[in-house]
Amino acid sequence: MAPRFLTKPLRLPRLKPYVPEPDDPAIFWFNSERDDIVREVVRRLGERYAADRRTLEYALNEVAFYEVQRLEGQRDDEAKESIGYWKGLLRRVAKMSDDAKRDALRGISERMARDIAGNFDPRVYKFASHVTPRLLTGVMKPGALPRDLASVGLGAPALDELLTIEGDTELLKRLEKKGTLVYVPTHGSNLDSIAFGYALMRSGLAPVVYGAGKNLFTNPIISFFMHNLGAYRVDRRVRARLYKDALKTYSCVMIERGYHSLFFPGGTRSRSGMVERKLKLGLAGTAVEAFSRNQVFGIDRPVYIVPATINYALVLEAETLIEDHLKATGEARYIIEDDEFSRVDRWVSFFRKLTDTEGACVIRFGRPVDCFGNDIDDDGRSIAPGQKAVDPGSYVRRKGAPTLDPRRDAAYTRELGDTLLDRYERETVLMTTQLVAHVLFRRLVRETPGVDLFGRMRFRGEIRVPHQELLKDIGETRDRAAAIERDGGVKLSRFLRTKSPEGLLERSMRIWDGYHTRVVARHVGPNVVAEDPTLLLYYQNRLIDYAEALAGDEDQGAAREIRLLGVKL
Amino acid sequence: MSPVGIVGGGSFGVGLGVAIARNGGEARLWSRTERRAPEGVVATTDLSALTECELIFVCVPSMHVPAVAPEVGAHLDGRHLLVHVSRGLIGDDLQTVSRHLSANTPARRVGCLAGPLNPQVLTEAIPGGGIVGSRFPEVADAVREAIGGPEVRLYETDDVVGVEVASAMVGLLALGAGFCLESKISPAAMAVMMNRGLHEASRVGERLGGEASTFHGMAGAGDLFAAVGGDERAEVRLGRAIARNVDLEQAGREAGAYIEGVSIARRVAAFAERVDMQVPIAAAMASVLDGHTEVETALKALMLR
Repeated sequence: MAPRFLTKPLRLPRLKPYVPEPDDPAIFWFNSERDDIVREVVRRLGERYAADRRTLEYALNEVAFYEVQRLEGQRDDEAKESIGYWKGLLRRVAKMSDDAKRDALRGISERMARDIAGNFDPRVYKFASHVTPRLLTGVMKPGALPRDLASVGLGAPALDELLTIEGDTELLKRLEKKGTLVYVPTHGSNLDSIAFGYALMRSGLAPVVYGAGKNLFTNPIISFFMHNLGAYRVDRRVRARLYKDALKTYSCVMIERGYHSLFFPGGTRSRSGMVERKLKLGLAGTAVEAFSRNQVFGIDRPVYIVPATINYALVLEAETLIEDHLKATGEARYIIEDDEFSRVDRWVSFFRKLTDTEGACVIRFGRPVDCFGNDIDDDGRSIAPGQKAVDPGSYVRRKGAPTLDPRRDAAYTRELGDTLLDRYERETVLMTTQLVAHVLFRRLVRETPGVDLFGRMRFRGEIRVPHQELLKDIGETRDRAAAIERDGGVKLSRFLRTKSPEGLLERSMRIWDGYHTRVVARHVGPNVVAEDPTLLLYYQNRLIDYAEALAGDEDQGAAREIRLLGVKL
Repeated sequence: MSPVGIVGGGSFGVGLGVAIARNGGEARLWSRTERRAPEGVVATTDLSALTECELIFVCVPSMHVPAVAPEVGAHLDGRHLLVHVSRGLIGDDLQTVSRHLSANTPARRVGCLAGPLNPQVLTEAIPGGGIVGSRFPEVADAVREAIGGPEVRLYETDDVVGVEVASAMVGLLALGAGFCLESKISPAAMAVMMNRGLHEASRVGERLGGEASTFHGMAGAGDLFAAVGGDERAEVRLGRAIARNVDLEQAGREAGAYIEGVSIARRVAAFAERVDMQVPIAAAMASVLDGHTEVETALKALMLR
């Protein structure tokens, strides 16, 4: 018997079967399809790995080797329970009969697929959609609770104010009836999946399946909601290729069957605070394969890729992320388990900080594209350059017939990555704190000529800017940002667009102050002092590509240096 | 097998047509004006004749690609495989031609045919070879099927950006080779120039998203060997003419072809400045081509650098 991989999250007992309404999205049927999906994943893994002896034996050896290595390091209950199985497999595999090997592969694949597969409980969904906003409001803004409770059914004012949603959600609502939506937002914080899920809920869009890292499951409450709202689990510690293939296959089968999905193509949270410059697209790449497979089987179901940006005025994990970024590049920790996300006190102070901070998070849905980078029109058709409607199925045809070709699909996926980077740039929403941080950081760069980035990080509290001068600088920089927006470049948050320079500065200081353990900037007499270069760097990194366009003549040199921070990665 | 399309009736387009016919395929060569096609090649001025072709070669100089792409694109969809043979990069951002084609036509499966392959090799079946750069494996397969054979040995790589930048930079270096040959500097000094030039090219390529190793391959070093080895390349002729102080326009006429390397030097130098990179050879060549520096002075300055 193959061992388990992860601990099981809690599920509610099922008293009577849920009968979905005809209009419910695919995910409401998920539980009745789960066994079938797991079977399909196991079948495809068998097809791929059991086709010839050497591949099969190698796969078994590899998975056993990596699991022993992982479990020996782990020394917990899971290790105690499972390590024997893997050690035994390593010993036996060379002597096993072909049938026994196939059985072992089937058993392991099934265990993996079952562990990955999530659950969808419509009761939890209904509960979450009605109660969570109010609960979160309670945490964030206790004073508003009585008012909210009095206005049952009117949503959750505090949370609604906190989160701004932009983009054509009406179009997305139409498209989710025609095809499968694959959301691919930027990734900057562990709160992203929660904020994004909530944004979908509030916009009246169907819930999505989402591959959540195991670290999101360490918090039992989050774990309960994640698991019962369709999230599947991704254990990044399991390194075997078989497991990675199981994940991809699962995701592919889900998209093929019309489950709307969410991926963060950046792979991991942006450490620098910059918008993604390279995409991993591992799991998101399964969208292309799923579309091709459907075409080959004569199923003409479009896949719509929806780029989106998630923009925060205050980032929960900012301090940990930027520190990690500043460590030698390439040595960044891929999995951070001890950051602010896992600390309840940081959560509470984060949400308390955001009390009354209207529009602290902006989620912007971009215009959808097909798997091949073509725009989608209002009727869900693919529109190629030159305003020509094209059949997306033509992209997977060779010599007249649709074909399956993993290398071709990998190439399409890379191209899709380029398209997404371009969309991210255009759909990024600049926040007040980012612009104010940029103005202060630019001043720091201007006043420390010849010093490198790491040297500048040591200039704590040494750069002072007279208040009036800073306001003028902020005002002019904002006006230049507004000009970029008018030309179709980056977007501005409503506050950044409309508030006075004084208002922008005060808003930024208020947001930073008291949440971050280090002071970002402070008023000292008639001056504003740039206290923490690392956090300033983090917040301003979001707009480095525009540095030169945002700078006046005297700042061009500093702006060039700042833009090059992004080029020299 | 579906017919193979060719856009552009210059010597490369015609050479490809002949090679396709030799391989037993049907070639359809489109050009804006009517022209006589060699045996086995169907000439047309109607772009819709290309719709039936799965593989289409784009054989127009890079500066004409922005005008031609939407016209051709109107007759394409996702089935089509586009392969260009241009040695240029487009605009100040040095956009590769394949990227331009994929961004401005419905075709996404695009690629580039490069390396020491010239019209003569194709037309006269002189043994030679080249490389197909494309992220899409079926593009290389289709090109091989269309023109590959004992005389045309084709390699492939998925580093399409590397191939295109290498090809463009070798065009520039071939001009430099003409300078060196005409100024009679020592073979060792010329080797230093070419080698440094190739290295510089690979750094530009990496910055644009290509891989350095591609520049050591067929599209980079391979192509440069052919140019220096005397394959009668127009760029070398042009470089020689400029070193003799013939003015650029006259030199272009002497060389007998439109040469993409001329405008690239300046754009590469400006790009490098924007991204904070050193490109001494491209910068020196830009200065020579703009008439600011004499060839001899530029070569000396590079040796003293």
